[in-house]
Amino acid sequence: MNLIDKKTVKKLAELARMDINPREEESLVSDLERILEYFDELKELDTKNVLPMSGGTFLENIVRDDGKGERLPGEKSVDQFPEKERGFLKVPPVFE
Amino acid sequence: MKNIHELTIKSFHEGLLGKKFSAFEITKGYFDWIDEKDKEIGAYLSLQKDEALKAASVVDAKVASGEEVDVLAGVPMAIKDVILIEGAPATAGSKILENYRASYDATVVKKLKEVNAVFLGKTNLDEFAMGSSNENSSYKLVHNPYDLSRVPGGSSGGSAAAVAANMALVSLGSDTGGSIREPAAFCGVVGLKPTYGAVSRHGLIALASSLDQIGPLAKTVEDAAIVFNRIRGRDEMDSTSVETEENGFLEPKLDYLKKLRIGIPKEYFAGGLSHEVEKGMAEAERKLRSLKLEFKEISMPHTKYALSVYYIILPAEASANLARFDGIRYTRIQNSKFKIQNLRDIYFKTRGNGFGAEPRRRILLGTFVLSAGYYDAYYAKAQKVRRLILQDFDEAFRKVDVIFAPTTPDVAFKLGEKTADPIQMYLSDIFTIPANLAGVPAVSIPVKKYSLADKELPVGFQLIGKHFREADILGLGQYYEKA
Repeated sequence: MNLIDKKTVKKLAELARMDINPREEESLVSDLERILEYFDELKELDTKNVLPMSGGTFLENIVRDDGKGERLPGEKSVDQFPEKERGFLKVPPVFE
Repeated sequence: MKNIHELTIKSFHEGLLGKKFSAFEITKGYFDWIDEKDKEIGAYLSLQKDEALKAASVVDAKVASGEEVDVLAGVPMAIKDVILIEGAPATAGSKILENYRASYDATVVKKLKEVNAVFLGKTNLDEFAMGSSNENSSYKLVHNPYDLSRVPGGSSGGSAAAVAANMALVSLGSDTGGSIREPAAFCGVVGLKPTYGAVSRHGLIALASSLDQIGPLAKTVEDAAIVFNRIRGRDEMDSTSVETEENGFLEPKLDYLKKLRIGIPKEYFAGGLSHEVEKGMAEAERKLRSLKLEFKEISMPHTKYALSVYYIILPAEASANLARFDGIRYTRIQNSKFKIQNLRDIYFKTRGNGFGAEPRRRILLGTFVLSAGYYDAYYAKAQKVRRLILQDFDEAFRKVDVIFAPTTPDVAFKLGEKTADPIQMYLSDIFTIPANLAGVPAVSIPVKKYSLADKELPVGFQLIGKHFREADILGLGQYYEKA
């Protein structure tokens, strides 16, 4: 069973918005294939009537009151952006 | 001045109040030792010398004026470089955050600053806390203080090695699948992963949000308990955090602890342990039995599936969490080797060149298990088996109060030994992962007091407790150390 080939790796990289070096494609294919094979052991478990566990906590609906709170001051919140202008995040055009 | 190698939090505090030394002298002493020692260890990625000495002076002034100070006041700590200290670097061990400076304090840091703890610096780690050997750091290796040719464990390898080599009195790490406990075991120190929700993760660079917890690494269980007590509690900035009480972990009572039933899960001992670990576990069990506790064999039948479940859930969550490193909000990778012409280039070049091999592998794996057509077979299936693993714990905790288990299958391995084979590397965490999946607290404790001079490689064992019963595992641990 081959779930992963070079085409899949390229498609995943496209979805993840991440360049992949053509030289590492082969090792990524074999690593991912081996890891997915390892996961096959899960198939032997019958989980038909098991509820998925979707998080680490048993809390529900944690909300806080709307209101004024402590926030990062403006200059601190933009300080680390790679491009900024007049206190705003600067991004290149999305539509060209 | 007292030798910094012998200090514990309480002996430091007593010495400070008794004017045997000043916080400034001790902090300076730690930096002198780091300058000498860390060249061969590699535990620190950055030091905060000026800030630390200033913070120590504040403590000295308070003590001089007779003001009451906290037991952690002046205590020199190391902080894993995924936890934010305002103004300090927070690289997460990645080139993609090389020039980043934290804009705010993590809640745990804020809490420790309030009691005047001193932060020596930020410690080395596997990139984005992904790894079991610290070899995935994009900056440098960490060497195990017990044998420089071996790994310190990971991902909190720097935090463990710093404490083991006396380059910090205590440290903070983060544990998603064993990242505090595995390096603690390899480096002969104590490492606590608290209950999921016990400690706020606000200001922790997220790896897998349903698993991550911050916790202490320390020389003694008591030190770990003292730090845990200061960082725990509900925080509005982390909606999974819960308010808790000091329920007996600071001053454990032996008559209570003697009533605890200890479970030995047969699946954790069913072969696969190295000779050294097997020997260490026998010694730990003998010592625990000398406390006259009741022992029971138990079964946790889904244990063997934990690794698969973890390596589906973790990459899925990590691929989502790491989406924020897009070259727009954080560092943009620029390079003369490629041209950036548009928004697409910023995303692809920054992420392709900024992330190392392991994060890239896990991002692709996470993208795969979440993608249309495979979601049910992998991610949904893993969530269901995760519940079965939780039910194993629930079932076990009806019969026993604390579970006794090895922390790792083997002692610290050689640098480079497992880097070529991701599955071999992943198997290092096979005994620590289940506690994260179930959200229960677990502490790794050295089997005995190891000495760096002896060169014997440390073995750690785990005590795993019920949700929010840190008091049971830390209490037993404190008596174990005295036994």
